[in-house]
Amino acid sequence: MKSDELAHEFNQCIKCGLCMATCPACKELLLEKYSPRGKVQLARYYARGELELSERYRDIFAKCLLCGACGATCPSGVDLKKIFLGMREEIAGKKGAHPLTLGAVQSLARNRNISGEDNEERWDWKESLKGVPEEVFHKKKAEVVYFVGCVSSFFPMVQSIPQNFVRILSEAKSDFTVLGGEEWCCGFPLIGAGLTREVEELKAHNLEKIRALGAGKVVFSCPSCFRMWKEYYGTDVEMLHATQFIHEMVRNKTIRFNRTDMTVTYHDPCDLGRNAGVFDAPREILKAVPGLTLVELENNRMKSVCCGGGGNVEMVAPDLSGAVAQKKIEEIRRTGAKTVLTSCQQCVRTIKGRARRQKVDLQVMDINEFVYRMMEKK
Amino acid sequence: MFSKAVRQELCSIVGEDWFLDTPEDLATYSYDAFLPEFIPDGVILPAKTEQVSRIMQVATREKIPVTPRGAGTNICGGSVAKQGGLVMAFNRMNEIVEVDAEDMCATVQPGVVNADLQKLVAGYGLMYPPDPASMFVSTIGGNVALNAGGPRGVKYGVTRDYVLGLEVVLPSGAVIRTGGKSLKNVSGFDLTRLICGSEGTLGIITEIIVKLVVLPSAKATLQAIFSDLNDAAKTVSAIIGSGIVPTTLELMDKVVLDVIGSYGGATFRKDAEALLLIEVDGDASLVDAQGRRIEEFCRARGAVEVQRASTQAEADKLWQARRSAFGAVASRRPNCIVEDATVPVKQLPEIIRKIVELSQRYRLKIGVLAHAGDGNLHPLIMTDLRDKDEMERIERALEEMYETAIGMGGTLSGEHGIGIAKKRFLKMEFSDSAMEIMKGIKRVFDPDNILNPGSFLM
Repeated sequence: MKSDELAHEFNQCIKCGLCMATCPACKELLLEKYSPRGKVQLARYYARGELELSERYRDIFAKCLLCGACGATCPSGVDLKKIFLGMREEIAGKKGAHPLTLGAVQSLARNRNISGEDNEERWDWKESLKGVPEEVFHKKKAEVVYFVGCVSSFFPMVQSIPQNFVRILSEAKSDFTVLGGEEWCCGFPLIGAGLTREVEELKAHNLEKIRALGAGKVVFSCPSCFRMWKEYYGTDVEMLHATQFIHEMVRNKTIRFNRTDMTVTYHDPCDLGRNAGVFDAPREILKAVPGLTLVELENNRMKSVCCGGGGNVEMVAPDLSGAVAQKKIEEIRRTGAKTVLTSCQQCVRTIKGRARRQKVDLQVMDINEFVYRMMEKK
Repeated sequence: MFSKAVRQELCSIVGEDWFLDTPEDLATYSYDAFLPEFIPDGVILPAKTEQVSRIMQVATREKIPVTPRGAGTNICGGSVAKQGGLVMAFNRMNEIVEVDAEDMCATVQPGVVNADLQKLVAGYGLMYPPDPASMFVSTIGGNVALNAGGPRGVKYGVTRDYVLGLEVVLPSGAVIRTGGKSLKNVSGFDLTRLICGSEGTLGIITEIIVKLVVLPSAKATLQAIFSDLNDAAKTVSAIIGSGIVPTTLELMDKVVLDVIGSYGGATFRKDAEALLLIEVDGDASLVDAQGRRIEEFCRARGAVEVQRASTQAEADKLWQARRSAFGAVASRRPNCIVEDATVPVKQLPEIIRKIVELSQRYRLKIGVLAHAGDGNLHPLIMTDLRDKDEMERIERALEEMYETAIGMGGTLSGEHGIGIAKKRFLKMEFSDSAMEIMKGIKRVFDPDNILNPGSFLM
């Protein structure tokens, strides 16, 4: 990012401090340097040459969930996330990647995924999958490509997300396939780590694979992959989040639901809701389930509070991530619902992980799992 | 810079983690929401009154300036270290100690965020009325120190009207208590009300007892658009004179409406010269009748359009323009100076005319937003601090505006405070003798002038 671009943003900041009302990180850390307003000030000091990029700078800018809540509150319309990503890029450029993100970054260079495992292991989630014909995964041409994403491919706690989504696609007779070992990380973690240049190769590879399959649509269950593609890939291919794709199938009655008397609440993932504008699709899906009661969280839609899993914070400051997740769990419990649904593997991992550690009786479920469970099977 | 021994002593009081002096920390406690910045020598975050007392003993012994700070959202330079020294931040003292629903009061630490208190007491069917625009961030301690107001001020008054008692640490380290939970109290001088609004120059507030009121069960929200600013201003006086006490009575002039329009905040009809946003609250039947009467008032005085909300969603929609006003104006040019001149309500048309005239004569872009119901104007000056010539013109315009306001029986500041923002104008409002009395009071509390020095008094 060019420094004049950054300056354009932070010159708009009038230091009113209203961003602090919604920043989950600074509410936990209490000190001004961790607030969005404080970070803007530090960006200013750096740009003016008044302060060097110290290790403290790295620590401060790493403690941001990149949830975008500050920018949504800013009365002057400052694109705060742009400043923070720009600063991460400066810091990584001058001092190298954050030591605690190094594992993921190196794995990306070597294996094309964040897990540290060989990329052929991307099929891992398919092992225990039943009821979906194997040939689906070896098509030469397909109308729809499901881009699974690293986390759902490799992390056992959330492998049920791709399993359920392909079951849904299969039940709905959709002409789809997945890239398997040929799917490379979308590059999103690199942006958060300030390593934007390394994204190009990943992007070119993924776009080429989609082209070769002749696909007109790419569908994502991961909101961050979805956003990454939309914002950085510059392609004409139609890009949809799984909730949008399912909503379409609900609307044209390809999917019908059984009745339930469940009460649930719904957590808007930052990258799907506030940062990509998808609020209605998941709610429309839930509305179509007869008998279901949806109790909204106190802070929903644009005001949704991060689960604690954003911005690579889980890697660099797990305590902060946990403290933010704790607040999320308390907010969920205030709704009275025993089940929280969401549409993001990272949110599921963060909330479920915290709830387990704290022995909180809470069912955390991805919307794909819920949809597959509730839909009428043929 | 502090000596190693002093630094160590301060660290030993609050713990290593809560005394800060890295360049990054100092840079981020060098500002508030006003314009000039000052780098402190250190930042300290006490956790309890006893720590505040010990810090003040060190500060007095070493003659270290101490500037208390809540959330740093004030717009008068109230919480920046104008002469260096320590910034004392209250983010750790953020506990709501007690909500006493029977006696309708709450006891809070200074770092409690205004909106958090509002939310909690609403659960008891109660309300804490002061609602500054910064309420989702600003702290009760800061609100008390600056005597913050807000749009609900027309009916409910300002912070000072809700402070029943305080715990205050003096520069010597002595801890005093003023007032208490009782609603009536005429014992001695009213130190509670004196310290409220003293901008951190008399003592450090460490605990606050606030009065609460019953949360009103209903409200009516109206928006009236006028094609003539005078009609709008006269309507304000008429409503206030009628005996109806609105909760909120906000006015925005054409400059502000146009800026909101191009910002995408809301759209207005072409002939709109002024907008009034009016709210009444209370018992449902009363509110309904008052809402209808206000509507008649507006129409009879030339409103070209009146909308009355019948649902919360509609009310939110009417608030939309007002809520986006500040952001719209702030994003227009690099800087926005928010002024705070306040006049008796019937002088409103006159002072607004004066501001329009000043903006033309000095070639300035000034929008007028006003808590019109209590005569509190917020002229919003859209500017660029780097433009020296324009800044000089602003200075001259401000001087004329304040002379006019004070000549009408008004004041420099309705709710934002003096700080360093309006220090230079203070003599317009106070005679030498009055200034001497204030300075004398300051000397009694703070003989060494270590509390927020460089602020409005000395």
